[in-house]
Amino acid sequence: MLIIFLLQSYLWVPTYEQQTKGNLERLNEYITASIGDASILNPILSADSASNDIEAMVFEGLIDRDQELRFRGRLAKSWKIYEEAFFYINEKASIPRVGKAGAPEVVKLLKRARGGYVPISAQVKTSLDNIREIVIIPAREFLITRQEKKGAGKTATRIRVMAPDRIKLILNKVDQDLFKNLSTILGNDYFPSFPAQDYLSLSEGGRAGIKAPADYAQEVLPATEHNPVIIFHLRPDVRFHDGHLFDARDVKFTYAAVMDPKNLSPRIADYEPVKEVEVLAPLTVRIIYKRLYSPALSTWGIGIVPEHLLNDEALKNEALKTEKDPERFSMRQSGFNRHPIGCGPFVFREWKSDQYIALARFDDYWDGPPQYKRFMYRIIPDLLTQEMEFYAGTVDSYAVQPHQVQRLKNDPMYQNFSGLSFGYTYIGYNMRRAPFNDPRVRRALGMAIDVNKIIQYVLYGQGEWITGPFVKQTDYYNHRIQPLPYDPEGALKLLEAAGWRRNKEGRLEKDGKRLQFTLITNSGNDLRKAVLTIAQDAWKQIGIDCRTDLLEWAVFVQERVDKADFDALILGWNMGIEPDLYQIWHSSQTHPYQLNFVGFKNSQADDLIIKIRQEYDHVRQVAYCHQLHELIAREQPYTFLYVNKWTAVLDKRIVIRGTDDAGNIIYKKITPTKTGNYTFYFNKWIKLPEAPVLSAED
Amino acid sequence: MLSFIGRSIIQKIITLFFVMVLSFLIIHLAPGEPSQVDPLNPKFTPEMVERFRKAFHLDEPLHVQFVYFYRDLFTGKTISWKDNEPVLKKIGERFLNSLPLFMVATILTWTLAFPIGVRSAIARGGAYDRLATFFSYLLYSIPGFFFAYILILLVVNAFHVPVIGMKTFGFTDVSLLRTIMDRVWHLVLPSVLGATVGIAVLSRYVRSQMLEVEDQDYVRTARAKGLPSEQVHYKHALRNALLPFVTMFGLMLPGLIGGSVIIESIFSWPGMGRMAYEAILARDYPIILSINFISAVLVLIGTFISDVLYMVVDPRIRL
Repeated sequence: MLIIFLLQSYLWVPTYEQQTKGNLERLNEYITASIGDASILNPILSADSASNDIEAMVFEGLIDRDQELRFRGRLAKSWKIYEEAFFYINEKASIPRVGKAGAPEVVKLLKRARGGYVPISAQVKTSLDNIREIVIIPAREFLITRQEKKGAGKTATRIRVMAPDRIKLILNKVDQDLFKNLSTILGNDYFPSFPAQDYLSLSEGGRAGIKAPADYAQEVLPATEHNPVIIFHLRPDVRFHDGHLFDARDVKFTYAAVMDPKNLSPRIADYEPVKEVEVLAPLTVRIIYKRLYSPALSTWGIGIVPEHLLNDEALKNEALKTEKDPERFSMRQSGFNRHPIGCGPFVFREWKSDQYIALARFDDYWDGPPQYKRFMYRIIPDLLTQEMEFYAGTVDSYAVQPHQVQRLKNDPMYQNFSGLSFGYTYIGYNMRRAPFNDPRVRRALGMAIDVNKIIQYVLYGQGEWITGPFVKQTDYYNHRIQPLPYDPEGALKLLEAAGWRRNKEGRLEKDGKRLQFTLITNSGNDLRKAVLTIAQDAWKQIGIDCRTDLLEWAVFVQERVDKADFDALILGWNMGIEPDLYQIWHSSQTHPYQLNFVGFKNSQADDLIIKIRQEYDHVRQVAYCHQLHELIAREQPYTFLYVNKWTAVLDKRIVIRGTDDAGNIIYKKITPTKTGNYTFYFNKWIKLPEAPVLSAED
Repeated sequence: MLSFIGRSIIQKIITLFFVMVLSFLIIHLAPGEPSQVDPLNPKFTPEMVERFRKAFHLDEPLHVQFVYFYRDLFTGKTISWKDNEPVLKKIGERFLNSLPLFMVATILTWTLAFPIGVRSAIARGGAYDRLATFFSYLLYSIPGFFFAYILILLVVNAFHVPVIGMKTFGFTDVSLLRTIMDRVWHLVLPSVLGATVGIAVLSRYVRSQMLEVEDQDYVRTARAKGLPSEQVHYKHALRNALLPFVTMFGLMLPGLIGGSVIIESIFSWPGMGRMAYEAILARDYPIILSINFISAVLVLIGTFISDVLYMVVDPRIRL
């Protein structure tokens, strides 16, 4: 009985064809699948990719990137970047040909130099021409208080500051070389010799403390200061999904919410360089930075959250309503995170944990509402079931596994897209340990591995080689650098030059010691495991005694990576588009628990990393990146292996709907952008009942 | 009787306390951090890691964390680290999702395993018995996930119908009856899968119990009396063979909350097992420990119930 009841239910279920034919509404719905569920739908608090996928639909940032990866205004109509630079008058320094000078004299000198009355180089002239305005900030006196840890407790130190005259320079463009160039006029010692501690005096409480005026000098009275400024002009008449008008206060609130320590936002590091966010007018925000930080602009792609729903008052009301302690109630506990409201193209409808998240189109979207009426995000933890659901027609797209690409690419039912991902896999060498402190050894180890074979057999051809730490599709990547050749003979020669020779058994030896080390990676990643075996075998062929070990992820990270306790490891990095490599490659980041765990230290690289971080001009930034890329490729701290290629298949019936000049509806094939992003025009997608015959262009 | 119940309750409470301590220690001492803390993310500064640890009380000594956790659990204030939802509410929701799956699978198991087992015991050594033995060993040895994939592939390729999840997606605006039937259809495959191993094991068990009883003197006596074989098998033999299964009823209780990790993941069924598994991967300690605690309680209650049941049905046992 029961069995018959169960089996007859089959007759009621729709098949692939019926789903669209009998049920036209299905065409207005886009269904996609994800392995994991979202955790918290609030762009300020989330860090996982599923949450980010949904937030990208529900929330909107001030800017985003267009097809060519250039910035494009979204909630911001336009923006302007300029700089305010400051320096204190150093009364004791002697300026060449002028001697000791006060503020008016320095200003006069700078103006004369700009007018061409002082002999200067072309480089300095560009810096001076860039100055729009010079202002003197007169000397002033102020008090500040600092909390210092003293034993178990804290003491307050009051500092009286008698700041001298200060010059403010307003620049048209951000100029990281400004003070270097000004030094040629004011003298090389002018900025470094500024005696900041002489202007500070510590209060009673401080005298007993541990710190002297000199400890505060750098922080309180920096000789020079760069303050880049971004002004955003916001788009008028944009509404949140609840009808509330979006304005500059929402931007300021979003920033404040990220910085609020109570919220534990994982994005706090992005906004730490911000000095101040000011609302100049209802639709104008000014963001002043403490220092040069070129990735700053991209951080404003963060989804803007509505202030009126999340400010202190709103949270307090919510806490009272749900009978929770208003004192301890923070944004993290708010119901907003399970029912988000933004101003993106889709309105949040429903979230069933581990089942689906449903969104509906926002008819008042400022850029025109999307074509699809609904967006469904299903959570299907198993890849094979995802595939089956795609065949059954209950998921519209499927991310193809490497070994299936050949088969599904030729399937006439589907259209397919592929592109390079933003991450790479590498073998990293612990450069603190011999023999990896020798670049020749590292290069030789790389040359012994046939990366093409890995790509061909392990990745089924779904990968490409990579030579450096930048995203391959961006300008920052230096395409002139060739990958290491596969050349075991050459590798042996390099090793011989480094003192490693083959002994009678064919093993490499130096001073009677065998070349022996352990290569590790985390378990649970089959690709890395395969690479591990291939590398071990390749090295064995040239006489290296390589042991391998697989460790559980948490142990791998905590015991080995964090403590830099390894010889060589296989790992991958996911990259953002911004070329800021400070955490991974700067020599200051080599301590335990930091990310330069291979211990790469190179002063030239440090210099370039800082310059890239401070350069706001794209062309110059690209030039620095190319230099850094070349340097890293020469040093080979990693053996860069490959970037994965992804392929996605979509139902052929999904097309782009647009209108031609005459106002007729036309359908176009979906085309990917330069970086392979095929969902870029998602808001124009629609599913048709029949696969369309498209014009010859495709 | 009463003194037995009292003693047993005290014993069980002591056991429960040890389970609490042990599971807490195992989970907290295992390496790994909650997924909110990501040491390999360049945007994660050490100060932030510290702040997260503090917010989760991970910087306190273990015994303090222990007290915090169980205080919150007993006052119903525990929240998941992943999404700040109350743990008990989450468990409740998942429990309701796992329940139909568990019930259908259990009914299938018990209704199919008994007839199969009894018949093969009666016709022992015959073709039916051998076939049943073969199939039960086959089903028992096929890995669940593999069998699940085969079934899904077969059904999807042959019938082109969706089988994943609790209902068909984008299947709206249809009659109530179709919606219900759609849900029933989605129950079929996972519950059948959940039942297979159960049927295989249980039918073997029933068979051997039956065989044992059939050899007993009183069965021979009944036969010698000239009773019809129907009555001998089903009245005299089966009744006594059923005794050990009474205990199994009690032990089924924890299965209610355990769910099935593999089947729920493959069929993307939003049930208990999958939540527990994902919580372990994300080191969501409050969820793991709460589920652990609840299932420990259920196991203890289950053993208690089966003890009592046994006493009730089998007059030979007196404590």
